[in-house]
Amino acid sequence: MYGNAAARRTALIDAGKFLLVAGIAVWLLSVGVPGLGYHWQWYRVPRFLFSAQGGVWTAGPLLHGLLVTLEISALSLLCTLALGLTTALFRLSASFTARALARSYLELIRNTPLLIQIFFVYFVLSPVLDIGAFASAVLALSLFEGAYAAEILRAGIVSLHRGQWEAAHSLGLNVVDAYRYVILPQAVRRVLPPLTGQAISLVKDSALVSTIAIYDLTMQGQAIVAETFLAFEIWFTVAAIYLVLTLGLSLAVRAMERKMSGTPLVRIGGLA
Amino acid sequence: MTVERIIEATELTKTFPGGIIALDRFSLTVRRGEVVVVIGPSGSGKSTFLGCLNGLEEIDSGSIVIDGIPLDHHRRNRLLIRQEVGMVFQAFNLFPHMTVRENIDLAQVRVRKKTSAEAAGPTMELLKKVGITEKADRYPNELSGGQQQRVAIARALAMSPKVMLFDEATSALDPEMIGEVLEVMRALAAEGMTMVVVTHEMGFAREAGDRVVFMEAGRIVEEGDTERFFGSPREERTKAFLSQIR
Repeated sequence: MYGNAAARRTALIDAGKFLLVAGIAVWLLSVGVPGLGYHWQWYRVPRFLFSAQGGVWTAGPLLHGLLVTLEISALSLLCTLALGLTTALFRLSASFTARALARSYLELIRNTPLLIQIFFVYFVLSPVLDIGAFASAVLALSLFEGAYAAEILRAGIVSLHRGQWEAAHSLGLNVVDAYRYVILPQAVRRVLPPLTGQAISLVKDSALVSTIAIYDLTMQGQAIVAETFLAFEIWFTVAAIYLVLTLGLSLAVRAMERKMSGTPLVRIGGLA
Repeated sequence: MTVERIIEATELTKTFPGGIIALDRFSLTVRRGEVVVVIGPSGSGKSTFLGCLNGLEEIDSGSIVIDGIPLDHHRRNRLLIRQEVGMVFQAFNLFPHMTVRENIDLAQVRVRKKTSAEAAGPTMELLKKVGITEKADRYPNELSGGQQQRVAIARALAMSPKVMLFDEATSALDPEMIGEVLEVMRALAAEGMTMVVVTHEMGFAREAGDRVVFMEAGRIVEEGDTERFFGSPREERTKAFLSQIR
């Protein structure tokens, strides 16, 4: 469409525009912040991340919190995908019971706040099931995100042309094999972008488990702020860590997508 | 035990939601090794009939027996029949995320329970038969329509079916690619495969068909041996249809 030189010029103009907007934002901040009368003490932040004494590195409370956030997010993601897939298949099942079950679950979860669900699981379910705070957190997050993942997966499955089902059936494949080898591989590839978005939501929503006494990244941040009054520095740092986490996740999925594109995604989308 | 009548469809009725009658007490028997060509205007129920034969479509009433197995509500029978009945679709319906080879291997491995090594030989044989061995590791979207349809035929044949159903197999193809697909179908007919072919290709019907069935509004208007059917059609409706299509 463009020549090389023209493309370079467009890129330069774009970069210029971006720098201009970013510059204005920084200037606004630098004008506004002194007005706060806030006494910045960034030098006090690193010790909450890690400390190095006598050549030995020890993780600070924020990194400990990050580890907990990672654990909860990873476990919940696995459960979310399993639950989401089961629910999607239930919703598309021929059995009335399975469909009704899936429907009730979806409506219940999507129409109540996550915070209340976390409280419910922690204060009501966990004594009954005899599980701890960590398991409660994973359970609540998986139940919540699973409902959304189910709808995403269902959309991917029904977006496939019915000819794919007919071909699978006509070869004598049973329903399980048809899903496993024909339908799901295509459906999952199609919904990978929205599924990634859901995974990112999960990481961010995991901050809410700090309310049930789990020392995740957010809870650690809160504790440090309560002790040191470094509200701005600590919350900026915590936000930056979440940002790194979610951006990393997006990049990983994009790399995965590119790797899978031996059969290009676009082409698959275009065919059926 | 060989059942001489390999397909016995009796008094099939099927009404689509909205009251459109696709099959109206439709009966048809096909003998082993016979090539039956089903023709008729669009919406006459031809494709619905094929879909009913392997249980892709539900019939409202009537009975279907394929090679002695009744197509009833038993899931097992349905799967058994589908394993013995191959189907080729107008839109090819290849699996786009699998290579040509994987498309043809899939049912052999998952349904016939072969190992992939055991499937490899037959797969290459079939690709040779349909004339596209060199595309074995390509994806369907890298093939022309005619090549895709030939792969689809090979995929259906990989189950070693007793019956092959062709649902307007050449209707979605560019004119210059119709010939290569018909050629594969003709060779298959010559080998003695039992085939039910829904098509608009009168040339194929004349050449490869043993019997022609002319359908309209879910019923048989006229049927007969190919030569007699084209040579001296009895019904006025048949004559009108044949004169239009030529």
